[in-house]
Parts: sequence; C-alpha cells; structure tokens
Amino acid sequence: MEETLAVEMRHVRKYFASSNVLAANDVDFEVRQGEVHALVGENGAGKTTLMNMLYGLVHPDHAEIYVYGEPVRISHPDHAIRLGIGMVHQHFKLVPSFTVAENIMLGIEPNQFGFINGKSEAEIVRELAQNFGLPVDPNARVSELSVGMQQRVEILKTLQRDARILILDEPTAVLTPQEVHELYNVIRRLADDGRAVILITHKLLEVKEVADRVSVMRRGKMIGTHDVADVTIRDMANMMVGREVILQVEKQPATPGDVVLKVENLLVAGMGGVPAVFGVSFDVRAGEIFGIAGVSGNGQTELIEAIAGLRPVDGGRIMLLDHDITDVNVRTRRTEGMAHIPEDRMTMGLNLQTNLDENVIVTSYQKPPFSSYGILNFQPMRELAARLAKKYQIASARVGEEIKTLSGGNLQKVVLARELEGEPKFIIANQPTRGVDVGSIEFVHKTLVEERDGGAAILLVSVELEEIMSLSDRIAVIFEGRIMAVLDAADATEEDLGILMAGGTLDKKE
Amino acid sequence: MLKRLQIVGGHAAIPLFAVLLGLVVGSFFVFLAGANPIQVYDQLFCEGFGSRGCETFDDLLIVEAENDDGELETHFAPFYGERGHGMAIVLEKATPLILTALAATIAFKAGMFSIGMDGQLVLGALMAGFLGYWIPDQIYAATGVADFEAASSVMRTVMHIVVPTLAISAAMIVGAIYSWFAGFLKVKLNVNVLISTIILNAIAVQFVGYMINFPLRADFNNIARTRAIDDSAWLVPFTRGLFSEIEWFRGSRTGVGIIIALIAAFVIWFYLWRSTSGYEQRMTSGSSLFARFSGIATEKAALRAMLISGALSGLAGAIMILGVERRIVDGFASSGTGFDGVLVAILARESIAGIVLVAMFFAGLQQGAINLQFGDLPRQLGGIIIALIILFSAMENFFRETMSRIRHRIAPDAMTQTSDDAVPVESG
Repeated sequence: MEETLAVEMRHVRKYFASSNVLAANDVDFEVRQGEVHALVGENGAGKTTLMNMLYGLVHPDHAEIYVYGEPVRISHPDHAIRLGIGMVHQHFKLVPSFTVAENIMLGIEPNQFGFINGKSEAEIVRELAQNFGLPVDPNARVSELSVGMQQRVEILKTLQRDARILILDEPTAVLTPQEVHELYNVIRRLADDGRAVILITHKLLEVKEVADRVSVMRRGKMIGTHDVADVTIRDMANMMVGREVILQVEKQPATPGDVVLKVENLLVAGMGGVPAVFGVSFDVRAGEIFGIAGVSGNGQTELIEAIAGLRPVDGGRIMLLDHDITDVNVRTRRTEGMAHIPEDRMTMGLNLQTNLDENVIVTSYQKPPFSSYGILNFQPMRELAARLAKKYQIASARVGEEIKTLSGGNLQKVVLARELEGEPKFIIANQPTRGVDVGSIEFVHKTLVEERDGGAAILLVSVELEEIMSLSDRIAVIFEGRIMAVLDAADATEEDLGILMAGGTLDKKE
Repeated sequence: MLKRLQIVGGHAAIPLFAVLLGLVVGSFFVFLAGANPIQVYDQLFCEGFGSRGCETFDDLLIVEAENDDGELETHFAPFYGERGHGMAIVLEKATPLILTALAATIAFKAGMFSIGMDGQLVLGALMAGFLGYWIPDQIYAATGVADFEAASSVMRTVMHIVVPTLAISAAMIVGAIYSWFAGFLKVKLNVNVLISTIILNAIAVQFVGYMINFPLRADFNNIARTRAIDDSAWLVPFTRGLFSEIEWFRGSRTGVGIIIALIAAFVIWFYLWRSTSGYEQRMTSGSSLFARFSGIATEKAALRAMLISGALSGLAGAIMILGVERRIVDGFASSGTGFDGVLVAILARESIAGIVLVAMFFAGLQQGAINLQFGDLPRQLGGIIIALIILFSAMENFFRETMSRIRHRIAPDAMTQTSDDAVPVESG
C-alpha cells in the first residue's frame, strides 16, 4: 500500500552563524496523513527550528521538502498557509483586545466595499467551531479567555485557513491537567479526520498518550523514528540524551526542622497595581521542599519576587529565621542566607554579556577575597569559577568568553553553582528546570534534594505538576493569588491538584 | 598570544571595512561635486594627518624635503615636524572628543542612553570661562596686584595651579549636576534618558547663548563674546610652554588638555573594568534585572555613572575654553562637539583604546574637511563622508553574519566542529 506522505523533509541543513549552532545536520523527517507525530528532543536539539523551516519562518541552507508529494520551497508563512500548513506557537500570536472572531478572521476578513462585515465574521466562526466540535464564543474578547481557550482559538485560526498539516509547539506547557486531556481529544479528532498533526514536545508521557509515531532529535541530528507502541518512555529518554537516564527522583523522607521562612497574610500588587497575591500565608521548614503548584500567571511570580525583595509588599509580613525582612533590600536578604534560582535565567539569573567569572561573583564581589578597597581581584574570581565549573560539570565554559554560547542546561548549572555556594539556609527555586535538557533536569533535581538533606529550606515553584509531585514534601496550590490548600505530598494525587489548580475545592469528595 | 591578536584583528576588521566602504560610496558625492575622488581623498587625509608638503597617501608615511643645504632628505612622515604637523592639530581637536566619548561610554555602560554631553559641555565651558577671569579678578583685588604681569613669580606659579584647578573643578561639578538631573528623572520617574538629555541640551545651549549675548558680554564686538580669561587661568599650549622648541606642534593649540584626556581615559578604563563600582554598573547595563536580583543597588550605580559622565563632559568644555579658545564666542554653544563625542563612542564600541583612536581619526577627517573648502570643494563633503562611515560601521552585525556565512561556505566541516564545542552536552 503506497500512500502519499503529508510532509517529507530530506537532507535538511541549517547553520546559525550568529550563535554558531548547527541546528539541523542532514535531517530526514516524514509525517503521514492522519497521524499524530511527536517530535521530541532536548532543548536546543533543533526540533522547533526544523518546524520553523517547514512553516517558512526560517530558511534552510539546504533541504528537499515535499508537501503531499509536491516538491516545494517555502519562503514565507503565507506560502506555508497556502500549502495547508498551520502552526500554533508556544507563545500565542493573538490580539488580546480583539474578539475571537476578529482574531480568527484576521487578514481574511469577509468584506463589502472594503468594510469589514463583523456579523458574518461571527457566523463563520460559530459554524467553524461547531464543525470541529471546538465550542467557543466568537464575540468574546481574547483577553478574557483562559489560556486553554486561547489555544483553541489558535487552532481554529489554522483550521479556518484549511490547514491539513498542523504543527503544535509545546502545546501543553501552559495548560491545567484537565485542559490537557481536552486538548488530547481535539488532537485525536483532527488526526482521525485525515489531518497530520505534528506535536513538538519534550514530555515523553504526552507522547505515549497521544502520538502514533515519534521522531527523536539530538543536537541537530535525527536519531530515529518509531511507532510509539514499540518504544518505552525510557527508550525515548535514552535516545534524547544519548545515555541512560534516571527518571525517578530518589529521595528519603524529609526530616523537617525549625521554621526558616514564614509568610503571613502577604499582599502584593502585580502589573499596573492590580493585586496579584491576596493574603497568602505559609511557612517553610529547614530540611523540607515546599512546592507551590499552579497554572502560570496565578500570582507565583509576584509572590516569589516579593519574598526575594524585588517587588514591594503592600501588606503582611515575611520572616526569615525570625528576622522581619519585609522591607529589607536584596543584599541583606542574601547575607541572611537567602538564595534565589530565578524563573528567567537569561535576564535575571545571568548576565549573558559577560564571562563566567563575573557571573559567579555577582553575589559576593563586594567581599574579600574577590575585591579589596573597591578593586576587583581577578585571581580568586578565576579560581572560584574554575572550581564551580568542575564541581557542577559546567561543560566548556571558556575562560574570559561571554557565557551566551552555553546551552540552557549549562546556564542553569551556572546559576545553581553560584546560588548554592556558601550554604544558603533558604532557597527559592522558581521553575528550576524550565527549558533545561533531560540530563540537566536530573542534575538539578538531585542537587536540590541534596541541599534539602543538608538542612536547607526550599521553596519550589513549578508549573510542571510532575516536578512538584516528585520533589516536594508538602504541596500548596495557588490559584488567582490565593493558596487553595496545602497537602502532604504523600497524599496528593494529580487529579486533586488539577481540581485545585483550576480553582475548585476538594470538599465534595469526602 | 596569537589568539589574542586574532581577536583584536577581528575587532578592527569591521571598522576598517566600514571606513573603506564609506570612502567608496563617498566618491559618488565627490563625482557630483565635479572632482576626482583619489585627489580629494589624498587632500583630505594629507590635510588631516599629514606633515607639511604632504600631497598624496604615500606622503603620509615617507616625505622628502630639502634641508638647509638644499639637498633632498627622506623623512618618516609622522615625525617630520617642519613648520608644524597635521597630527598636532588632530591632538587639539581630539581632546574634547575623547572626553565626551568617555562620558557617553560610561553612561551607556550603565544602561543609560544619555546623549547630554553637549549641554553639560557648554555649561562647563561657561563656568570655566567665567571663573577664568572672575577668580583672578578677586585675587588681584585682594592682593592689590595690578595684573598677571605685575605679579611675583611665586604668585604666578601658585595662581597657575590654583586658578585652572578651581575653574576645571567647578566646570566638572556643573556638568555632573546637569547630567545627574537626567539620571534622577530616569531612576525616580522613569523618564526616557534619551529624551530628557535632548531637552536638557536644548535648554543649556539657549541658556549659554543668552549669557554670552547679555550678562557676560564683554564688548561691542560684532559677534558677542565673553571677556578673555586671565593669563593665570590659561592652560598654556605646548608651543608656548613645555615644548616650544619642537616644530612639530607649530600651529596647534594642544597642550595639557590632551594629557588630561589620556589620563582620564586610563582612569575610566580602570574604573569600568577593575573596580567594584564599575563592575556594578556594567552588570546593571548587561541586565538591570540581573543586577537587582543579585543585590546590586542599580539606581545608585546608574546615578554614579551619570555623575561621572557629566563631570567628563564638563571637563571637556573647560579644556576647550581654558586651553584653546580662551573666551566663549557666540556660536560655540551650538557647535555640537558633545554629540560628535557620542558618535565616537558608538564607533569605538565601548572600547577605551578604540575611543582614543577613533577620536583622532574623527578629528583628522574634520580638520581635513575644513581645509577642503580652500580648494573648490564644499566643506559639507567631509561631513557626508564621515556620516557614511558611521552608517556603514553601524551595519556591524550584517558584516559579521556575512563574513561568518562566507567562512561557513568555504569550510563547512570546520564549522561543524566548532558548533559542537559551542553547544556542549555533558558526557556521562
């Protein structure tokens, strides 16, 4: 049986001169009609780049691309759309102040004498939503929709443009577990309809659940394509990393000690002065990992910034080791034993425009031996950098060169190395493995557990439920700036957490 | 060592390429003006950088001249100083450019895009120009000495040290305060520094213009001007003091100023790259979020940078008046030296050594361009060529990408190798 492939890419090669990365090295990739095809790989493996080339956003140095058997050269997304290719990006490209219908019809508005006919727009969208079983109110403003609904709008947008090949870039990163399951159903339906769905992801569980076939990329090379039924999660992980990976976090039960951080009735304003954290209280003890679960954008950022001293507090108190640090500056908090692994290592955790030495001393440059009388001493800086690079296996950080060429995992290790130097008593770990490759995730997790066992109190924030559940000793769920419940990690189920994360309560269950 | 040379070469290659492209495209305008580009460029560079008698590019290196006995002698041109050398004038003109470029760089390196050097410079100049006669007046009145000529040699020496020091310090303080104001607006009220410094420049230029025309106007000369500074405030040029024997300096008013500028360059380099304060402000400019997160007082670092930046601009203004002009003439305020300093800083890409070199190059081109008009060519031609060079040098990233791509085409396998280094994955 010879069927036409939906997409066939042969000998794709792409080199980025600016970052000196070979993102695709003679890659072959094919997708059948009517299948869900997962494209997996660590961050920086080249999977998004490969799909951007299919969508015309990035131009390959060399490639043979066939869409439904026809050889094509895709120069621009418009061209890709005409070929029936649709892409839903990780960061949605919607206009928040427009309605759903206006967003979906943007650029292809039905018009009369040059005037947009709003009424028929809404009708077209309603019909479209009905046909695909993706109910959505065409007249709702996008800014008022939940993230899951916004994603649905993005998918409808591609369908309205007759996409036969759908590319979804990490679609579940921002969804609650319930929304994720709904999305899986949608993806299945689209595939059963004869469309080809390409799912870019690094979550292997997801691949098992929804995909028919899986292609694994590693460092710009295609490692192989398999039927999902024939491979285990462990196999896929090994293909991604190129070696054996331990997926489970190994840890002993916690032995919590005294309270290290105490937060009382904390009130914090977010963007534009709108309250983002409403009277949150909790405490973190020495020797435990306290996890905060929640869908991103529910006040986690504001809460963490307030504790770290980066955002003013409007009410309540923060106590670190019995000192009131509510209004204390960052440096004092740090000298009192606080360490902070921030969510965004590119702009907050590191200065990519300078070298490793200057990055590792940023919390201690003002003290000897790194400086005396206001003059920097380079020798101790270099020694510290070399020691940390060795201890944390930060590969190939070249002396004196800007660190921006390091991979995500290595950058995170630099942050970790600096923050954990000097035995902090309280560690904030905000999304510590976001955008980090599988090998480094393992390392980060192991390091955090080691710090816990050494007696540090750790506040972990993550939108990855799996991470929260496997690392934490106690779990708090945050929703719209309030802590919904604090559970013992041993008793928490994914389902319960999912309900709490969506704003529900567990009362009815009992 | 070889690697370091390669890096330096890589940094220099693109500016040199930009200069070349600027000259090539500039020849189009030379043609429009009805002249031969080679001849014009010969003249431009000879007038700017050459010794007397320089006529073509070759003469920039080797020059032949008759000696006293009427025989032809060959000289190494940069050291041939008979009847003065173009480079001496370059030193004079480059002094304020170096200082204002340093001022711009130190502000940029704190993440403050301040272009307020013009305003700070003219206010500093006004301050120095005023104190340059006012302080001596007070001293003469108090001691009963008629003027500088009548003073004892001890008094002269003391005054020669005290008066310029006071005038320069005051100019630096005025510049620093004016610059701090823009920094304060940014830090406290989040006012865009670019915009506030443009406005502050306009205010300063108008204010200085007013002061020259009315309160401080010295006489009924056609063009308004202030009183000349007293001889005791004068930073005496090399030709009249230290190196009066050396022909090379003839025709140039350069003096202590260039030495001060070079010392300032070293001090700023040390501050930025060796001191903790400089480290703080560099981290702030790299990512202010990062600096704040680490506990650096970013606002303090930014304000400190603005203070230093303003002081340097004020110093530039003081040296222009005390060392070169000796009085402020109407039109001085709108000459735009401060803005040229910003351009120099941008061209030099935050390298201190680069600033010194670019400022000299810039000064030479400007000098050469002025002299072009003594031929039949419009002076504006020099401005156009300078502008083109700046434009091409702003295309740095484009050049870099292109060069990299070409190298990649030539030897793709070699690049694959380095790309493996660049994206390391732990081996277990």
